[in-house]
Amino acid sequence: MDKKQGDQSLQRSTYLKALRKSSFSFLAISPLLLGVVGLAGLFQAVVTPKMIATLFGGNVVIDILIGTLTGGSAAGNPVVSYLLGGELLKQGVSLYAVTAFIISWVTIGLIQLPAEVEVFGGRFTLYRNILAFAFTILIATLTAFTVQVLA
Amino acid sequence: MKKQDKISENEDKAFAFRGKYLLLIVLITYGLFFIGNSQVAQLALYNSGNILMKILPVLLVVVLFTALFNFLLPSRQVAKHLGRESGLKGWLWVLIAGVVSHGPMYVWYPLLEDLRSQGMKDAFIVVFFASRTIKIPLLPLMIDYFGLTFTLVLSFYLLVGALIQGLLIELLYPEI
Repeated sequence: MDKKQGDQSLQRSTYLKALRKSSFSFLAISPLLLGVVGLAGLFQAVVTPKMIATLFGGNVVIDILIGTLTGGSAAGNPVVSYLLGGELLKQGVSLYAVTAFIISWVTIGLIQLPAEVEVFGGRFTLYRNILAFAFTILIATLTAFTVQVLA
Repeated sequence: MKKQDKISENEDKAFAFRGKYLLLIVLITYGLFFIGNSQVAQLALYNSGNILMKILPVLLVVVLFTALFNFLLPSRQVAKHLGRESGLKGWLWVLIAGVVSHGPMYVWYPLLEDLRSQGMKDAFIVVFFASRTIKIPLLPLMIDYFGLTFTLVLSFYLLVGALIQGLLIELLYPEI
């Protein structure tokens, strides 16, 4: 009985130690997170949806690139990207570009790049973002093409 | 290595704040905006406050999650399930974890960094980030905006694409 209680209290203290450790690693990274949050707030205040909409010119290939770059530099809840994407479609922007926009909104984060480099290193960040960029274009093209074929 | 040993060993690492310079640059930028265009600065500050309030609960969950991981999975287990010898199961677990993970990408950095230091391979971090584009709670909204066919086709390509990106990372720098 005593042994069981001893085991339980040992487990509890081990978990508390783990909790303390994870709390400290979050505390250590808090300036980094606050910096990224500050940048995201600034971006939302400076870049309006109208500004994003005016960037698209009508050329499908260039628009996919613009969609990827604007989505990748934007910040905020993905719901906003759906809303903006829906508006862009209504304004005649191609599904290819809009799909690229909503994918890169989540997978590419220009705003969080400094944080990603700090945590995972420059090499990993470079490779990951190049892959995410290429795959955003590839998946957007494949998705829009497949949807058009199926329609 | 025993759980306790691992934790106390990690605790020995010196505590240091990270991202101080980024925060400093951001603060200076805000300062400049307050001087130049205080309306934009106030709006930015308000937006940042909003974002912070939204991510705080997620951060709390991630802190508890990280502690639970450290408690339940000794380093060797992490390496076994998420490292080189993890096999197909590891790929699938990470794919699912990415899809169900909530909040912005950066709240997951500390947990992933921790798992990485214990042997989780880089390919899995790539898969995790890539699969996060699919957000289960937002699927009905996506269907509403873009239709069911679009949502299904996109989700399929995203999942396959996430796995291919992971495999490519392994090919690009296999030493990691």
